[in-house]
Amino acid sequence: MIEQIRDKARELLESKQISCFIGYERGTRGKTHPAFIYNPQEVGRLVWDESCTHNLTVYLHQFKNPVKRGEPPPRVGILLKPCDTRSLNVLFHEKQIDRARVYVVGLACEGVKGNGRLAGRCQRCSERLPLVYDLLLGEKPEPTGREDYAEVADLEAMSPKERLAFWAREFERCIRCYACRQACPACYCFECVAEQLDPPWMGIAIDLSQKQFFHVMRAYHLAGRCAGCNACEEACPMEIPLSLLNRKIAKELEALFGYKVGQDAITPPPLATFKKEEEVPL
Amino acid sequence: MKAMSRDRLLAWLEELAGRSTLIGPRIVGEKILYKPVHHSAEIVLDFAKTDLSAKEYFLPSTEAILSVKREKKGFDVEEPSLHGRQIIFGLRPCDARALRVLDALFLNKEPADPYYAERREKTTLIGLACREMGDECFCTSLGLAPDEANDVDLMLTEMAGEYAIRAVTAKGKALLGAAVLQEVEGVPPNPFVRQKQVPILEVGKWPERFDSPFWAHLSDRCLSCRLCTYVCPTCRCFDIRDVELSDKEIERLRAWDSCMAEGYRRIAGGHNPRPAKAERLRNRFYCKFCYYPQDFGPVACVGCGRCIAQCPVNVDAVEVLEGLSAL
Amino acid sequence: MAADFEPRIVGFLCRWCSYPGADLAGTSRIRYSPSLHIIRVPCSGRVDPLLVLKAFQDGADGVMVLGCHPGDCHYVEGNYHARRRYALMHRLLEYVGIEKDRLLVEWVSAAEGGRFAQMTTEFADQVRELGPRGGTQVDRAD
Repeated sequence: MIEQIRDKARELLESKQISCFIGYERGTRGKTHPAFIYNPQEVGRLVWDESCTHNLTVYLHQFKNPVKRGEPPPRVGILLKPCDTRSLNVLFHEKQIDRARVYVVGLACEGVKGNGRLAGRCQRCSERLPLVYDLLLGEKPEPTGREDYAEVADLEAMSPKERLAFWAREFERCIRCYACRQACPACYCFECVAEQLDPPWMGIAIDLSQKQFFHVMRAYHLAGRCAGCNACEEACPMEIPLSLLNRKIAKELEALFGYKVGQDAITPPPLATFKKEEEVPL
Repeated sequence: MKAMSRDRLLAWLEELAGRSTLIGPRIVGEKILYKPVHHSAEIVLDFAKTDLSAKEYFLPSTEAILSVKREKKGFDVEEPSLHGRQIIFGLRPCDARALRVLDALFLNKEPADPYYAERREKTTLIGLACREMGDECFCTSLGLAPDEANDVDLMLTEMAGEYAIRAVTAKGKALLGAAVLQEVEGVPPNPFVRQKQVPILEVGKWPERFDSPFWAHLSDRCLSCRLCTYVCPTCRCFDIRDVELSDKEIERLRAWDSCMAEGYRRIAGGHNPRPAKAERLRNRFYCKFCYYPQDFGPVACVGCGRCIAQCPVNVDAVEVLEGLSAL
Repeated sequence: MAADFEPRIVGFLCRWCSYPGADLAGTSRIRYSPSLHIIRVPCSGRVDPLLVLKAFQDGADGVMVLGCHPGDCHYVEGNYHARRRYALMHRLLEYVGIEKDRLLVEWVSAAEGGRFAQMTTEFADQVRELGPRGGTQVDRAD
């Protein structure tokens, strides 16, 4: 499959259909990191294997503006896994990314690994094929997963005091570095409410109450927009289980409104719309 | 060599924890961090490096530097102060050297930072030599050694199940006091050191590399989060804001800030001298290896490698330094 | 919990329906719990969940969000959005350790002074039962 990826990238770059191809390459110390190929001769840098965990959609935000004034914005090629394409659909729907400015090489995916183990989201994945693509590579693997929100249910089963203590323990470690927010493709506000100082919604203090506030509000702002790519949790230096917040919200939105994120670029997320006659149990 | 057995060491630390605030390496979730210790059982002795440095105890991530209360007869202004003394146990030589780097700005430059100075003065440092350099470590390229003792008050080195202990300063000697030590034969083994050095360009060689396209390509994958600056033992930028606690009390807070944040350098009026990621990433390296040594003396990096280990997109300081020197 | 604990409740009332409803309770001399601190907003749809969480953060023991009855919103659809938002917010708050009974979201018209008063007093009693929010301690270097 890697040769097909490289061939396509080379073809797109040589014919100047794109000015950059975003994929993965081998880095230092056995790590894999995002790659930006501008020169068709360099497509050999591209790799594809189970270490390619990053959601590359986040980098599309830096190609939104034209390089030179008066020109259209650049067109880029990008390599996406099924979970990543969900976040791309969210960005298409929100008119952040122009469909015509992206060439998507979508990959059938058997899952990525972290620390030798299959990632949690991959174990639960029923997608396996990208939801939007210009070129599809790979055969659909056997679907092995189903999102049953098991860890969310564990937390729901605790008493309120236990839950409060659980989250206090987890957020205590947070250093408010915003790696979670920066890695997230759906967090693209020019000025995040967490950094607004007039008025200081969350102030500058790196203390427990502000950190909890930040994480709960960020999860809320992502309601119906979070694709479950887990880039946030993987970026976190303190290994805080952030996905437990996002999955809870996804669970509630599915139960209340039958909504699944990122299936297409047309369906609005539930909080962006309403039905006049509906029973929404408060 | 004077030494303590592991058990004796833990007992001595337990005793210290009773008298002062003892801060040592602890397991917190999946991480190892320097945290206050109340019982010796909480201390972890077998660790490579903590995930965050000990910077927190000298330049706290958030501290109140002033509080003003409105009283019936005017205002009551108070500068909070550190109560009692603190002891940091298990400080690696790189983290200890980082304090000297911070001293060059916070202590040695007029005016000294009184909050930092107070913490520095009231803290005793018990170092723990490394047995080997970690995969991401490059302290030796910066003129440091994994068993460097000059930056701590007491130095501990593991040897054959015992901990050789040496008082480096009068403060350390006073802390050791009448602790019972055994005499052991031999000297601690040399730590394992990787031979390959990372090229650190001297200050004068940095300006000519400022405009290189090297920086743009490197920064493509940078997420502009602030992780590297927060895990770093020598990064020291902060923000200060007044917080209204009630209509009768305000507090002035100082908290960590980061040059990697997009709006860090934005000034009133909206102009931002470093709007692009490439500019901010470049600035971080220039600050550490060019501007800081130019202004204050030491290079603002101790080769601990935490930024390398933690960066989510593998921006590798060693790779950057090697790439730069090849330009 | 202490019998003399007086809960602090913040209420976001919309300018067109629930706030006049509260006003009516006042002019009709109907008593209701003094624990309520009212903040008037143009519409319940303006009440960003951020405001609710900030209220809890800053010491509120209970929060009320009161709007027009669905179908009667002065701005036509604000309360439809609020209805969906708070359905989610209730569940999220419960999940992070803030009991959902500390947040009351209701629809009150300008004519329902009595109902407003009764609702407020009952809610204050409910929050009093739950006790102070306590919440997170500020850990500051000292």
